[in-house]
Amino acid sequence: MSISPKTNSMECVVQGIIETQHVEALEILLQGLCGVPRERLRVHELCLKSAPNLGVVSSEVRLLCDIDQPDPTWTVKHVGGAMRGAGADQISVMVRTMIESKVSKNALRLFYSLGYKLDHELLKVGFAFHFKRTAHISVSVSSVNKMPKIHAIDEAVPVLPGMQIVDVTAAATPENYSEVAAAVSSFCEFLAPLVHLSKPFDPAGVVPTAAAAAASLMSDGGGTTL
Amino acid sequence: MEGGVGLTTAQPQGPPPPVAEKLNQQVVNQLNLEGVKTRAISLFKAVTRILEDFDAYGRTNTSPKWQDILGQYSMVNLELFNIVEEVKKVSNAFVVLPKNVNAENAAILPVMLSSKLLPEMETDDNSKREQLLQGVQSLPIPMQIERLKARMDMIAAACENAEKVLADTRKAYGFGARQGPSMFPTMDKGQAAKIREQEDMLRAAVNDGTGTRLPPDQRQLLTTALPPHLADVLIINDAGKNALPMPSNNINSQGNLLQNSGTQFMGRSAASPSGGNFDNTRSPLQYSNSPQSTSMVNAPSPQQQQLQQQQRSKLMQLPQHQQQLLAQQQQQQQLRQSSMQGLGQNQLSSIQDLHGQGQQKFQALHGQHQMSYSQPMAHQQFQARQLSGGHIQHSMSQGQLNPAMNRHLNQFSGGANSALFTSAQGSPSSQMIPNMSSMQSQTLVPRMQQQFGVSGTNPQRGHSSQMLGDQMFNSSGMMQTQQTQLQQPQQQQQQQQQQQGGYGNMQTNQQTLQPNMLQNTQQRHQNPQ
Repeated sequence: MSISPKTNSMECVVQGIIETQHVEALEILLQGLCGVPRERLRVHELCLKSAPNLGVVSSEVRLLCDIDQPDPTWTVKHVGGAMRGAGADQISVMVRTMIESKVSKNALRLFYSLGYKLDHELLKVGFAFHFKRTAHISVSVSSVNKMPKIHAIDEAVPVLPGMQIVDVTAAATPENYSEVAAAVSSFCEFLAPLVHLSKPFDPAGVVPTAAAAAASLMSDGGGTTL
Repeated sequence: MEGGVGLTTAQPQGPPPPVAEKLNQQVVNQLNLEGVKTRAISLFKAVTRILEDFDAYGRTNTSPKWQDILGQYSMVNLELFNIVEEVKKVSNAFVVLPKNVNAENAAILPVMLSSKLLPEMETDDNSKREQLLQGVQSLPIPMQIERLKARMDMIAAACENAEKVLADTRKAYGFGARQGPSMFPTMDKGQAAKIREQEDMLRAAVNDGTGTRLPPDQRQLLTTALPPHLADVLIINDAGKNALPMPSNNINSQGNLLQNSGTQFMGRSAASPSGGNFDNTRSPLQYSNSPQSTSMVNAPSPQQQQLQQQQRSKLMQLPQHQQQLLAQQQQQQQLRQSSMQGLGQNQLSSIQDLHGQGQQKFQALHGQHQMSYSQPMAHQQFQARQLSGGHIQHSMSQGQLNPAMNRHLNQFSGGANSALFTSAQGSPSSQMIPNMSSMQSQTLVPRMQQQFGVSGTNPQRGHSSQMLGDQMFNSSGMMQTQQTQLQQPQQQQQQQQQQQGGYGNMQTNQQTLQPNMLQNTQQRHQNPQ
């Protein structure tokens, strides 16, 4: 199994939810803010948990397969614990350790043979923007789908119809995570009219005025000459 | 009211700063800025006076004259309204309001305008401005303005054309207006709680997999075809379960014999040695010396008999020295084959049954005074153990000896050993088993580990205990003895070796081994007698 490791060992993460009817407006807003073309997102995510023979503390790895490409690419991701303490409470994003690497397609077999077991799987369908602003920031907006049968991605059904999840992640290192967190926070302010973003385990709810903001972004009015 | 008036009075004071910037006198006269300023100051004084009155009422604790206060308020209100109208005219000249802001979305305008540009965005902005003015910076300012106006007109025309096209398309395809509802959205507590619950559910699904896990029974079975990205990663075996590809066990070029045997490594069970009588009350393991065993225990399956007959007829047509070589190879192949078939059967689960039935079996063993195999057959079986051991070893997985089975075996291992030992001592054939006493100290668990090729730290056992272990726990041993007996030339050779000394001399025993296995067996199986 070939592996190409990444050096970043931390990431800053915020999450939020948005109603599907406002996703188009969010895409327009993101297109303007990021200044890069959007990428289609269709990811089959397999979450594997270790068996007891691999240690007392169970470990969890996620195998992500980008199935939107003609030749699907596989990524293995291990998400560690979040930063805690007074410093962590003061910043509005979650900072956690993370190791991510591109792998060859037989990675799944490798993990199975090591004794890992499939815990759950998801299919995420949506779009993403990747751009650089102080740090490499990725914004993904996706519908989360679960499988009624094992590996049956064609029969996937939304976990929550009518709602999509917005993830903003930025790669960081132990040296620069505070700057990256600040960059993510300030970027999130631009999305405030449509989506409230918060740490992954702190619910933020939907924006009550999102409909009006979406209407404003989508409206037909042309600019007048000055 | 105090806060409200304070806020609104700040608004009319907006226009005076332009006066300080020495605006064009013509513009000042046209917009009547001086008049607006005077009215704003007088309004400010009126409001201040009212506030002072209230302050005095508060200090002296006297009740206010509400009639006067209401009269003053209506006057201030009217004046404020007039000033706001005037300021609107002024602001049209100096303030650009977003066209899309209306009563519906005005409330969120502060949110939309609240964010300051990031430093990167500011630098980006500046670079774009420089880029825009790059071609015209050398020209005089009026020319610059004209050029920029011309460019803006072109862009505006292009935008108008695009809007027309969009509007026509919308009409043609019947798309409605994209404006949202006219009512300003409000959210009651019930709705907020529901959304909170939904958000928790969605976040939990993404972060923890909550609500997306399949029940364990469905996790194994794959009823649909695998998606393309998994099809070349995972394969499916007969049982319909996800499986990883098994490493192939080709020992040599005689692998086709293995394919023809009618059994597979996994999935289906091999031809059962217990005959046609399937009695669920019996232990799945039948020994040749067990009272329950039928006369068919040692008989090979019809497929094997047919195969052996074909091979014998082919042998007759070859020269004598080739016949001998082929006979040796075929016997070795069959020994491997039969040991593999033994693997195909569910041996591990059947060993657990010994826990319940061990006493009965070992009592039956006590009463018998003769082992059911002759010395030549025992010798053949020992040789079979040597041949097949190495090949079985890597086709069993470590996980199959589970802790539950170990527990079962430990419970009766002591009794089993002593029963076997005493019965063997009482039988006339006990001289065949010189190393029998070494079994006393060994539990069955290490023996199982060695038999199934699971690595352990236990020393290698003597031949006889190994042979007895096979006889007791490996039904394939029965098949091996019968198959080798059917090979006539080979049997004669074996009997000659038996006369020469059997177990005593290992060198003669190794004549029948394949040359490439010779060193290995010398190292592993030398007998120090």
